[in-house]
Amino acid sequence: MKKIILCITLLLLLTGCTQDNKEVVNILNWSSYIPDEVIREFEKEYGIKVNYSTYSSNEECLAKLSSAKEGTYDLVFPSDYMIELMIKRDLIQKIDKSKLNNLENINYNYLNYNYDYYNEYSLPFLAASVVIVYDSEKIKDDITSYNDLLDSKYKGEIILLDDQRVVIGMALMALGYDMNDTDSDHLEEAKEWLLKLKENVKAFDSDSPKTFMISKETSIGVIWNAEAALAMEENKNLKVVYPSEGFSVSIDNFAIPKGAKNIDNAYLFIDYILEGKVMQKIIEAYPYKNVNLETQNYLSDTYLDNNASNISDLMFSTGSFVENIGDKIELYDKVWAEIK
Amino acid sequence: MKNKSKFLYLSPIIIYAIVLILFPILYILFLSFQTNDNYGGIIYSLTLNNYIKIFDIVYLRVLFKSASIAFITIVICILISYPFCIFISEKKTNVQKILITLVMVPFLTNSLIRTYGWIVLLRKEGVFNSILQALNICDGPISFMYNNLGVFIGLVYTLLPFMILPVYSSVSKIDKKVLEASKDLGANAYHTFTKVILPQTLPGIFNGSLMVFIPAIGMFFIADLLGGGKIMLVGNLIKNQFLVSRNWPFGAAISIFLIVITFLLVKLYKKTGGNMDDLGGF
Repeated sequence: MKKIILCITLLLLLTGCTQDNKEVVNILNWSSYIPDEVIREFEKEYGIKVNYSTYSSNEECLAKLSSAKEGTYDLVFPSDYMIELMIKRDLIQKIDKSKLNNLENINYNYLNYNYDYYNEYSLPFLAASVVIVYDSEKIKDDITSYNDLLDSKYKGEIILLDDQRVVIGMALMALGYDMNDTDSDHLEEAKEWLLKLKENVKAFDSDSPKTFMISKETSIGVIWNAEAALAMEENKNLKVVYPSEGFSVSIDNFAIPKGAKNIDNAYLFIDYILEGKVMQKIIEAYPYKNVNLETQNYLSDTYLDNNASNISDLMFSTGSFVENIGDKIELYDKVWAEIK
Repeated sequence: MKNKSKFLYLSPIIIYAIVLILFPILYILFLSFQTNDNYGGIIYSLTLNNYIKIFDIVYLRVLFKSASIAFITIVICILISYPFCIFISEKKTNVQKILITLVMVPFLTNSLIRTYGWIVLLRKEGVFNSILQALNICDGPISFMYNNLGVFIGLVYTLLPFMILPVYSSVSKIDKKVLEASKDLGANAYHTFTKVILPQTLPGIFNGSLMVFIPAIGMFFIADLLGGGKIMLVGNLIKNQFLVSRNWPFGAAISIFLIVITFLLVKLYKKTGGNMDDLGGF
């Protein structure tokens, strides 16, 4: 008897999830990137159910995409260097631009970058930069560069991203090298530079560095621009600096995985997000750099006046991207293990 | 016939162990001999390079640092749990049961969430610092976290039950008559402890140490959250291989290396006269 009950339950479990003919789209996106409200409105307008899962790093996105069965996801949002890598690994497919009505909304300044030169596989969703932000109430000097942060009076005052490419890249730029430099001597210098900086570092955190700035746990941060912008809304004394030695930038993109099953729904979703007013809601909630021309007309003054979120196109073009460096990543890995 | 039904009853746990423990470990073992293709994929091969790489001085230092932190955690856990277990074992059986259940209550909440709870308590403008300053015990805020102290607080707090349970089981097994006999034969409290109590509870302490050691080197989120991500433990190193450097084979090799170390420790325990049944102990 028990066995029969067990068998029936197992059968129910197995069949329970397949009986659904409703239109769906399976999205894999960064955590906290699109407000829930936008998703609900899309579902209501198109009658398509959105299955939404999230990741917190490009590598996690890659891991989920490459280990899942083909067709699990219909839309992903990888950054620049990850797009290049996914093209090489044959994980994403070419985008049929004829299916998108709002294509011309995209700011052309954010197209045709090296990672996907003709934007065959990806279209920009939003852009980000890493900035220095500091509390002018506590820090009386003018901070203008990474090297300013080495001053011993800032002991325990700095929050950095827990991101080895961005942080080591920052050290390389501070020393006058390219942020993707793979020369072992240069990396050795970068390591020494970071060990010096570490005296002043309170913590490495990528998940919510803004909390450190809002709670005044730290008074200097080298963090993503949206995090800086959100912190500035809470603490008006925060000032933003684009370091003189250079800074890193990234672009997050729409991309459609190979073998996507609900490809038309994915296009509908992309087109929906590219609408000026929809993108406005996203940008106002997560104030990264907007790359939608139409949206630019609707954005509030709070966003436009904030030089952390609203970095100019010209300024953005002077930033450096994280690039794929092949097996040289091992050198970065070692530097990272040594400074921690 | 009896054996057959026994197998049937055990089948859920056997299936569970095969599907969720054995298969993943075999896959990790397989991965550890492959070559990384730099794009987060693997090239099928048979190489020992990943294991050789562990012995690079940079990674050995990470292993050493993790082992030291785990060791200190174990010592603090023993110092706290031993008197506590003796205290419990002197209570009535019902009270003992309640107290031991209370030790396990924190497991009902996810350890990550409990760690976030500690942040609220420990940070610069957190509960502890506010109270200390309101009572004028100290002027400025004390740095309880974003340093090694925070890591130890987090590790000891999270892993203490793993020490208490085995130590308690060995302490409670001590026959009270033996203690009386020791007294009758003229041993003082010190000698009773070192010659009678301690030897009988050593397997419990060893078991607890083993159960604390393994998670202590692997719990990367405690080092990240309470240590401010400034310390790299083996757990962080493995996580980085999978999620940052995209070198799965190397991450797999370090994982297997840890499993081997665990086996060696158990072997060592057996060699020194430990009883395997005591390890299974409670």
